[in-house]
Amino acid sequence: MDSKSLEELFFQVLSSVLGSSRGTLGLEDQLMGGESPIDSFSLVEICVQLEDLAVEAGFEFDWTSDSAMSHSRSIFHSVESLQTEFLRQFLESIG
Amino acid sequence: MIIVTGASRGLGRAIADRLLSAGHSVVGIARNTEGLDFPAYACDVADAEAIKTVARSLRSSGEKVTGLINAAGIASMNLALMSPAPQVDRVIRVNLMGTIHCTQSFTPLMVRQKYGRIINFSTIAVTLGLPGEAAYAASKAGVEAFSRSFAREVSAFGITVNCVAPGPIGTDLLRGVSQGQIEKIVDQQIIRKQFQPSDVCDVVELLLDGRSNSLSGQVLHVGGA
Repeated sequence: MDSKSLEELFFQVLSSVLGSSRGTLGLEDQLMGGESPIDSFSLVEICVQLEDLAVEAGFEFDWTSDSAMSHSRSIFHSVESLQTEFLRQFLESIG
Repeated sequence: MIIVTGASRGLGRAIADRLLSAGHSVVGIARNTEGLDFPAYACDVADAEAIKTVARSLRSSGEKVTGLINAAGIASMNLALMSPAPQVDRVIRVNLMGTIHCTQSFTPLMVRQKYGRIINFSTIAVTLGLPGEAAYAASKAGVEAFSRSFAREVSAFGITVNCVAPGPIGTDLLRGVSQGQIEKIVDQQIIRKQFQPSDVCDVVELLLDGRSNSLSGQVLHVGGA
Protein backbone atom coordinates (compact mmCIF):
# COMPACT_ATOMS: atom_id res chain seq x y z
CA MET A 1 0.00 0.00 0.00
CA ASP A 2 1.30 3.48 -0.80
CA SER A 3 0.73 6.67 1.16
CA LYS A 4 -1.73 8.02 -1.41
CA SER A 5 -4.00 4.98 -1.02
CA LEU A 6 -3.63 5.16 2.74
CA GLU A 7 -4.64 8.83 2.69
CA GLU A 8 -7.81 7.93 0.82
CA LEU A 9 -8.57 5.16 3.27
CA PHE A 10 -7.98 7.61 6.14
CA PHE A 11 -10.82 9.77 4.86
CA GLN A 12 -12.99 6.71 4.29
CA VAL A 13 -12.59 5.93 8.00
CA LEU A 14 -13.72 9.46 8.85
CA SER A 15 -16.72 9.06 6.57
CA SER A 16 -17.71 5.69 7.96
CA VAL A 17 -17.65 6.99 11.53
CA LEU A 18 -19.09 10.44 10.94
CA GLY A 19 -21.57 9.59 8.20
CA SER A 20 -23.10 12.59 6.51
CA SER A 21 -21.48 15.06 8.94
CA ARG A 22 -18.09 14.14 7.42
CA GLY A 23 -18.97 16.44 4.52
CA THR A 24 -18.67 19.51 6.72
CA LEU A 25 -15.33 18.52 8.22
CA GLY A 26 -12.26 20.29 6.86
CA LEU A 27 -8.56 19.61 7.36
CA GLU A 28 -8.30 22.56 9.77
CA ASP A 29 -11.18 21.45 11.96
CA GLN A 30 -10.27 20.66 15.55
CA LEU A 31 -10.74 17.10 16.75
CA MET A 32 -10.82 17.96 20.45
CA GLY A 33 -12.15 20.78 22.54
CA GLY A 34 -15.19 23.00 22.49
CA GLU A 35 -14.78 24.05 18.87
CA SER A 36 -14.58 20.53 17.52
CA PRO A 37 -17.52 19.54 15.32
CA ILE A 38 -17.18 15.91 16.40
CA ASP A 39 -17.68 14.37 19.81
CA SER A 40 -15.04 12.49 21.77
CA PHE A 41 -16.80 9.15 21.27
CA SER A 42 -16.53 9.52 17.50
CA LEU A 43 -12.87 10.43 17.86
CA VAL A 44 -12.18 7.25 19.83
CA GLU A 45 -13.99 5.24 17.19
CA ILE A 46 -11.96 6.90 14.44
CA CYS A 47 -8.72 6.05 16.24
CA VAL A 48 -9.74 2.43 16.77
CA GLN A 49 -10.63 2.11 13.08
CA LEU A 50 -7.34 3.75 12.11
CA GLU A 51 -5.59 1.13 14.26
CA ASP A 52 -7.30 -1.58 12.22
CA LEU A 53 -6.46 0.16 8.97
CA ALA A 54 -2.83 0.41 10.05
CA VAL A 55 -2.69 -3.32 10.76
CA GLU A 56 -4.04 -3.98 7.25
CA ALA A 57 -1.32 -1.70 5.91
CA GLY A 58 1.32 -3.52 7.92
CA PHE A 59 2.15 -1.06 10.68
CA GLU A 60 1.11 -0.15 14.21
CA PHE A 61 -0.70 3.12 14.71
CA ASP A 62 0.02 4.43 18.22
CA TRP A 63 -2.45 7.12 19.20
CA THR A 64 -1.69 7.06 22.93
CA SER A 65 1.94 8.10 22.87
CA ASP A 66 3.29 11.19 24.65
CA SER A 67 3.25 13.14 21.41
CA ALA A 68 -0.38 12.17 20.81
CA MET A 69 -1.40 13.75 24.08
CA SER A 70 0.98 16.70 24.07
CA HIS A 71 -1.01 19.92 24.07
CA SER A 72 1.40 21.83 21.86
CA ARG A 73 1.79 19.19 19.14
CA SER A 74 -1.14 16.87 19.78
CA ILE A 75 -2.08 14.66 16.87
CA PHE A 76 -5.67 15.43 17.82
CA HIS A 77 -5.26 19.15 17.21
CA SER A 78 -6.95 18.91 13.82
CA VAL A 79 -7.97 16.51 11.09
CA GLU A 80 -4.76 17.47 9.31
CA SER A 81 -2.52 16.74 12.31
CA LEU A 82 -4.10 13.32 12.76
CA GLN A 83 -3.72 12.56 9.07
CA THR A 84 -0.11 13.75 9.10
CA GLU A 85 0.78 11.61 12.12
CA PHE A 86 -1.00 8.57 10.70
CA LEU A 87 0.96 8.85 7.45
CA ARG A 88 4.18 9.63 9.33
CA GLN A 89 3.90 6.42 11.33
CA PHE A 90 3.22 4.51 8.11
CA LEU A 91 6.24 6.02 6.35
CA GLU A 92 8.41 5.38 9.40
CA SER A 93 7.37 1.73 9.37
CA ILE A 94 8.49 1.24 5.78
CA GLY A 95 11.73 3.09 6.42
CA MET B 1 -11.97 -13.74 25.76
CA ILE B 2 -11.62 -12.24 29.22
CA ILE B 3 -8.32 -10.70 30.34
CA VAL B 4 -7.42 -11.21 33.98
CA THR B 5 -4.45 -9.38 35.44
CA GLY B 6 -2.69 -10.69 38.52
CA ALA B 7 -3.72 -14.12 37.28
CA SER B 8 -0.94 -16.15 38.87
CA ARG B 9 -2.18 -16.02 42.45
CA GLY B 10 -4.63 -14.59 44.95
CA LEU B 11 -7.93 -13.21 43.74
CA GLY B 12 -6.76 -12.98 40.14
CA ARG B 13 -5.96 -16.69 40.07
CA ALA B 14 -9.25 -17.59 41.78
CA ILE B 15 -11.18 -15.49 39.25
CA ALA B 16 -9.31 -16.96 36.27
CA ASP B 17 -10.00 -20.49 37.52
CA ARG B 18 -13.68 -19.70 38.11
CA LEU B 19 -14.10 -18.23 34.63
CA LEU B 20 -12.32 -21.17 33.02
CA SER B 21 -14.61 -23.55 34.90
CA ALA B 22 -17.59 -21.60 33.60
CA GLY B 23 -16.38 -22.12 30.04
CA HIS B 24 -14.92 -18.67 29.37
CA SER B 25 -11.79 -18.17 27.35
CA VAL B 26 -9.27 -16.50 29.68
CA VAL B 27 -5.93 -14.89 29.05
CA GLY B 28 -3.89 -14.05 32.11
CA ILE B 29 -1.34 -11.37 32.78
CA ALA B 30 1.12 -11.83 35.61
CA ARG B 31 4.74 -11.12 36.37
CA ASN B 32 5.34 -14.84 36.74
CA THR B 33 3.31 -17.15 34.52
CA GLU B 34 5.17 -20.36 35.30
CA GLY B 35 2.83 -23.23 36.07
CA LEU B 36 -0.31 -21.54 34.77
CA ASP B 37 -2.49 -23.96 32.82
CA PHE B 38 -4.12 -21.30 30.66
CA PRO B 39 -2.74 -18.77 28.14
CA ALA B 40 -0.91 -15.95 29.88
CA TYR B 41 1.55 -13.15 29.25
CA ALA B 42 4.45 -12.56 31.62
CA CYS B 43 4.25 -8.84 32.14
CA ASP B 44 4.27 -6.18 34.86
CA VAL B 45 1.08 -4.09 34.75
CA ALA B 46 3.10 -1.07 35.91
CA ASP B 47 5.00 -1.19 32.61
CA ALA B 48 2.81 0.74 30.16
CA GLU B 49 4.85 -0.17 27.09
CA ALA B 50 4.81 -3.88 27.92
CA ILE B 51 1.03 -3.74 28.34
CA LYS B 52 0.69 -2.03 24.95
CA THR B 53 2.67 -4.88 23.42
CA VAL B 54 0.29 -7.41 24.97
CA ALA B 55 -2.67 -5.45 23.57
CA ARG B 56 -1.14 -5.55 20.07
CA SER B 57 -0.64 -9.28 20.35
CA LEU B 58 -4.24 -9.84 21.49
CA ARG B 59 -5.55 -7.64 18.69
CA SER B 60 -3.62 -9.59 16.09
CA SER B 61 -5.01 -12.85 17.48
CA GLY B 62 -8.41 -11.71 16.24
CA GLU B 63 -10.27 -13.12 19.24
CA LYS B 64 -12.91 -10.82 20.69
CA VAL B 65 -12.13 -9.37 24.08
CA THR B 66 -15.32 -9.07 26.12
CA GLY B 67 -13.92 -8.38 29.57
CA LEU B 68 -11.00 -7.00 31.52
CA ILE B 69 -10.52 -7.82 35.17
CA ASN B 70 -7.84 -5.69 36.75
CA ALA B 71 -7.03 -7.88 39.73
CA ALA B 72 -3.27 -7.28 39.89
CA GLY B 73 -2.42 -5.57 43.13
CA ILE B 74 0.00 -5.36 45.98
CA ALA B 75 -0.58 -4.39 49.58
CA SER B 76 1.31 -2.15 51.93
CA MET B 77 0.23 -2.76 55.49
CA ASN B 78 2.35 -0.16 57.16
CA LEU B 79 1.82 3.15 58.91
CA ALA B 80 2.20 5.92 56.35
CA LEU B 81 4.86 7.61 58.50
CA MET B 82 6.93 4.42 58.38
CA SER B 83 6.46 3.58 54.72
CA PRO B 84 9.59 4.04 52.61
CA ALA B 85 8.97 6.18 49.54
CA PRO B 86 9.88 3.39 47.06
CA GLN B 87 7.30 1.14 48.70
CA VAL B 88 4.57 3.78 48.43
CA ASP B 89 5.61 4.48 44.85
CA ARG B 90 5.38 0.80 43.93
CA VAL B 91 1.91 0.46 45.50
CA ILE B 92 0.63 3.42 43.48
CA ARG B 93 2.31 2.23 40.28
CA VAL B 94 0.96 -1.32 40.45
CA ASN B 95 -2.49 -0.72 41.92
CA LEU B 96 -3.46 2.56 40.32
CA MET B 97 -1.20 3.03 37.30
CA GLY B 98 -1.38 -0.68 36.45
CA THR B 99 -5.17 -0.47 36.34
CA ILE B 100 -5.01 2.66 34.21
CA HIS B 101 -2.41 1.25 31.79
CA CYS B 102 -4.37 -1.97 31.26
CA THR B 103 -7.66 -0.13 30.86
CA GLN B 104 -6.18 2.29 28.33
CA SER B 105 -4.57 -0.46 26.28
CA PHE B 106 -7.29 -3.09 26.34
CA THR B 107 -10.46 -0.98 26.11
CA PRO B 108 -10.01 -0.28 22.36
CA LEU B 109 -10.30 -4.05 21.87
CA MET B 110 -13.81 -3.79 23.34
CA VAL B 111 -14.76 -0.54 21.59
CA ARG B 112 -14.59 -2.43 18.29
CA GLN B 113 -17.50 -4.68 19.15
CA LYS B 114 -19.41 -2.09 21.21
CA TYR B 115 -19.46 -4.35 24.24
CA GLY B 116 -17.30 -4.93 27.22
CA ARG B 117 -17.03 -5.37 30.94
CA ILE B 118 -14.26 -3.79 32.96
CA ILE B 119 -13.97 -4.81 36.58
CA ASN B 120 -11.46 -3.06 38.78
CA PHE B 121 -10.47 -3.83 42.33
CA SER B 122 -10.74 -1.52 45.27
CA THR B 123 -10.90 -2.28 48.97
CA ILE B 124 -13.12 -1.75 51.95
CA ALA B 125 -10.19 0.24 53.39
CA VAL B 126 -11.15 3.18 51.15
CA THR B 127 -14.54 3.53 52.83
CA LEU B 128 -13.42 2.66 56.34
CA GLY B 129 -10.19 4.65 56.34
CA LEU B 130 -8.23 1.91 58.03
CA PRO B 131 -4.99 2.79 59.82
CA GLY B 132 -1.88 1.13 58.40
CA GLU B 133 -3.35 1.07 54.91
CA ALA B 134 -3.05 4.71 53.88
CA ALA B 135 -0.94 4.19 50.75
CA TYR B 136 -2.88 1.09 49.75
CA ALA B 137 -6.23 2.82 50.32
CA ALA B 138 -5.02 5.90 48.45
CA SER B 139 -4.11 3.78 45.43
CA LYS B 140 -7.50 2.10 45.51
CA ALA B 141 -9.38 5.36 46.02
CA GLY B 142 -7.68 6.44 42.82
CA VAL B 143 -8.94 3.28 41.12
CA GLU B 144 -12.50 4.09 42.24
CA ALA B 145 -12.29 7.67 40.97
CA PHE B 146 -10.74 6.55 37.69
CA SER B 147 -13.45 3.91 37.26
CA ARG B 148 -16.31 6.35 37.83
CA SER B 149 -15.00 8.80 35.25
CA PHE B 150 -13.97 6.15 32.77
CA ALA B 151 -17.41 4.53 33.02
CA ARG B 152 -18.87 7.73 31.57
CA GLU B 153 -16.21 7.92 28.85
CA VAL B 154 -17.01 4.47 27.45
CA SER B 155 -20.71 4.01 28.16
CA ALA B 156 -21.54 4.95 24.57
CA PHE B 157 -19.60 1.90 23.44
CA GLY B 158 -21.65 -0.53 25.54
CA ILE B 159 -18.80 -0.92 28.01
CA THR B 160 -19.47 -0.95 31.73
CA VAL B 161 -16.85 -0.18 34.37
CA ASN B 162 -17.31 -1.20 37.98
CA CYS B 163 -15.23 -1.82 41.07
CA VAL B 164 -15.34 -4.71 43.47
CA ALA B 165 -14.20 -3.70 46.94
CA PRO B 166 -13.61 -6.68 49.22
CA GLY B 167 -12.93 -6.66 52.92
CA PRO B 168 -10.18 -8.94 54.22
CA ILE B 169 -10.18 -12.02 51.99
CA GLY B 170 -8.00 -15.03 52.68
CA THR B 171 -5.23 -14.46 50.13
CA ASP B 172 -1.49 -13.72 50.19
CA LEU B 173 -2.33 -10.04 50.44
CA LEU B 174 -3.25 -10.57 54.09
CA ARG B 175 0.09 -12.15 54.90
CA GLY B 176 1.40 -10.40 57.99
CA VAL B 177 -2.01 -9.21 59.15
CA SER B 178 -2.97 -10.77 62.49
CA GLN B 179 -6.25 -12.59 63.00
CA GLY B 180 -7.15 -9.95 65.59
CA GLN B 181 -6.70 -7.15 63.06
CA ILE B 182 -8.74 -9.06 60.48
CA GLU B 183 -11.57 -9.52 62.99
CA LYS B 184 -11.55 -5.79 63.80
CA ILE B 185 -12.05 -4.98 60.12
CA VAL B 186 -14.68 -7.66 59.64
CA ASP B 187 -16.58 -6.17 62.59
CA GLN B 188 -16.89 -2.92 60.61
CA GLN B 189 -18.49 -4.62 57.61
CA ILE B 190 -22.26 -4.65 57.29
CA ILE B 191 -22.12 -8.44 57.13
CA ARG B 192 -19.74 -9.40 59.92
CA LYS B 193 -18.10 -12.36 58.29
CA GLN B 194 -14.78 -12.95 56.62
CA PHE B 195 -15.53 -13.73 52.99
CA GLN B 196 -13.55 -16.03 50.75
CA PRO B 197 -12.14 -15.69 47.23
CA SER B 198 -15.15 -17.67 45.95
CA ASP B 199 -17.47 -14.92 47.25
CA VAL B 200 -15.51 -12.32 45.29
CA CYS B 201 -15.68 -14.58 42.21
CA ASP B 202 -19.49 -14.62 42.61
CA VAL B 203 -19.60 -10.80 42.46
CA VAL B 204 -17.27 -10.77 39.45
CA GLU B 205 -19.53 -13.26 37.65
CA LEU B 206 -22.52 -11.12 38.54
CA LEU B 207 -20.89 -8.09 36.91
CA LEU B 208 -19.87 -10.08 33.84
CA ASP B 209 -23.40 -11.35 33.41
CA GLY B 210 -25.51 -9.81 30.66
CA ARG B 211 -28.14 -8.94 33.23
CA SER B 212 -25.87 -6.31 34.79
CA ASN B 213 -25.98 -4.10 31.70
CA SER B 214 -27.44 -1.27 33.78
CA LEU B 215 -24.63 -1.25 36.34
CA SER B 216 -21.71 1.05 35.63
CA GLY B 217 -19.50 3.37 37.65
CA GLN B 218 -20.40 1.50 40.85
CA VAL B 219 -18.38 0.14 43.74
CA LEU B 220 -19.66 -3.16 45.10
CA HIS B 221 -18.44 -3.88 48.63
CA VAL B 222 -18.08 -7.56 49.38
CA GLY B 223 -19.38 -7.79 52.92
CA GLY B 224 -20.92 -4.32 52.74
CA ALA B 225 -19.51 -1.03 53.96
